[in-house]
Amino acid sequence: MLRFDSVYKRFPDGTEALRNISLHVPKGQFCVVLGPSGAGKSTLLRMLNGLSQPTEGSVYLAGELISEQSVQRLRRKVATVHQQFNLTPRMSVALNVLSGALPQVTHLRAGLCLFPSSLREKACHLLDEVGLTPEHVSRRVSELSGGQQQRVGIARAFMMDPAVLLADEPVASLDPRISRGILELLHRQSRNHDTTVLCSLHQPELAREFGDRIIAVNHGRLVFDGTPEQLTDKVCEELYHGALNREHGMSETAPSASESELELAAA
Amino acid sequence: MNTMKNLSVNRDATWHLDQPYNARHLLIAIFFFVLLAVTGSRMEVPRMLQETAQGLGYAVGLYEESSVATGVKRIAESIWPLRISEEIEVSRIENFDRNNLPWLSHLEIIESRTPHLNTETLKLEDTVESKEMLVKPVGYLAHVLFKMMETLEMALWGTILAVLLSIPLACFAAANYAPNRFIYNLARSTISLFRAIPELVSALFLVLAFGFGPIAGFLALGIHSAGFLGKFYAEDIENADRGPQEALQSIGAGKIKTLWYGVLPQVLPQYIAYTLYILDRNIRMATVIGIVGAGGIGLELKGRFDMFNFDHVGTILVIIFLTVIILDQFSARLRSRLM
Ligand SMILES: Nc1ncnc2c1ncn2[C@@H]1O[C@H](COP(=O)(O)OP(=O)(O)OP(=O)(O)O)[C@@H](O)[C@H]1O
Ligand SMILES: [Mg+2]
Repeated sequence: MLRFDSVYKRFPDGTEALRNISLHVPKGQFCVVLGPSGAGKSTLLRMLNGLSQPTEGSVYLAGELISEQSVQRLRRKVATVHQQFNLTPRMSVALNVLSGALPQVTHLRAGLCLFPSSLREKACHLLDEVGLTPEHVSRRVSELSGGQQQRVGIARAFMMDPAVLLADEPVASLDPRISRGILELLHRQSRNHDTTVLCSLHQPELAREFGDRIIAVNHGRLVFDGTPEQLTDKVCEELYHGALNREHGMSETAPSASESELELAAA
Repeated sequence: MNTMKNLSVNRDATWHLDQPYNARHLLIAIFFFVLLAVTGSRMEVPRMLQETAQGLGYAVGLYEESSVATGVKRIAESIWPLRISEEIEVSRIENFDRNNLPWLSHLEIIESRTPHLNTETLKLEDTVESKEMLVKPVGYLAHVLFKMMETLEMALWGTILAVLLSIPLACFAAANYAPNRFIYNLARSTISLFRAIPELVSALFLVLAFGFGPIAGFLALGIHSAGFLGKFYAEDIENADRGPQEALQSIGAGKIKTLWYGVLPQVLPQYIAYTLYILDRNIRMATVIGIVGAGGIGLELKGRFDMFNFDHVGTILVIIFLTVIILDQFSARLRSRLM
């Protein structure tokens, strides 16, 4: 369903956010992306919804190359739950969820905020599924708690019946109980809708619990790819320890020994 | 001990604190002083000070005469009492219907005596001429209020025009929504051009095109303020939070829908504030724009001023003054409610 072919991403300031990423995610898989802060997880996900283009290499979605011509069409198959929610503040919960279906409605309807009743029913259904109540509907999103906003974001993502769901740290800054609830929700939603999920996380325990498959990136490189069972505590420690080294400017250039070990462990 | 050592790494550094001013500051100060002296003398600031002082001296009885004071006095005397009523000679009114007088008006016979020389007796004699006048006790006030209403309408339509012009301009002049570089530059320069043409100048030309009256007025106001609104709107679009826009962009919603759902809700309160400010400004501007013939109260003001009807001018000025004060209160309240 998703395929990366030796993808590199270099930002204009010289930051190498992705280096030689090759990856294939089959349809219906729940794939968790781990990696320390700044590893390139968000950049990896943004390749798939066209918010960022690879400097080198190619990205395929449902067998089609994501290019300038195809991106607008392919995007409709992809939904994103953003790291910072990215809801429109000062707009009601209802409109925020409905805006997830904007590509489907005409400009006239969109301009007048007159969404077809099928979409409105779907929005209600989704809001109910993510555990919001009818009194939230007319509130502005800025009047919701962080966890509630995240759920609005998830409801919005499912408005288009996406074939692919990108969830960028959907549970960062949420308390453990809500985190679990949200991940269960994503898991259930993707099962029900047969969605391929790429979900970045910071908690290895949660990754093991919910992922069908776990990959890890560090310094923009794919350093681990395996099943939840293969992600041992030792591997986790190495992964985050590598980050510590990098923060202190000790392993800026060459990949450290620990990384090669990680790759061996994964193989 | 160890930590102490770490804290004072720079023990050997030589410290010195500069005085806050140096020769450069002095030079700048001298430059500005010279600039003030030169421009001040060109603006006749000394004469202004001298004559104002003389006028004040006259007011407290220190000076025998003062040109400024006599000027002010003459204007004050001719303005007061303000003109409220309106009298029209009946014989000049076409199709006058004696039994059906306009509302709040009555007829009066006014006798005027004009002395003139009787050529036979060589004596001054008074000839009595009596005219029948239609007197409207608040006629002129009503007329001015009506003109003020027209002025407000001009400002309103100027603002509506400005909003309609500046919304598309702003979308094209926002770097992240312009379809291409050329249209972006075109929109930017149109906005600058609109802003650069003062209303009074464009109104002069528009009066030639559309004739005397409010059309020229509100077009001139609209074009000029579209220059401001376009700039403000465009900057807000550019500075709006990217998050919601990326969210909509990433599902392929397209630029127009993204603007509508990702940007507009964010910037709407600011837009309303700008638009109210422009309306406020247009009302003040609309009162004077009539001076070049573009309708509203300014046209009346100019006409009366040219005829030396200073009592009429006084009424107009008082009405303008009151309107601006009332609107200030009103818009301040409206703004605080919207924020
Ligand atoms: N627009 C940009 N310009 C330059 N560098 C960028 C840009 N966006 C991201 N980066 C850099 O790319 C690297 C990867 O960033 P990315 O956002 O993908 O990290 P992440 O894994 O999502 O981190 P986090 O867990 O903190 O969200 C970082 O070093 C970051 O500083
Ligand atoms: Mg991130």
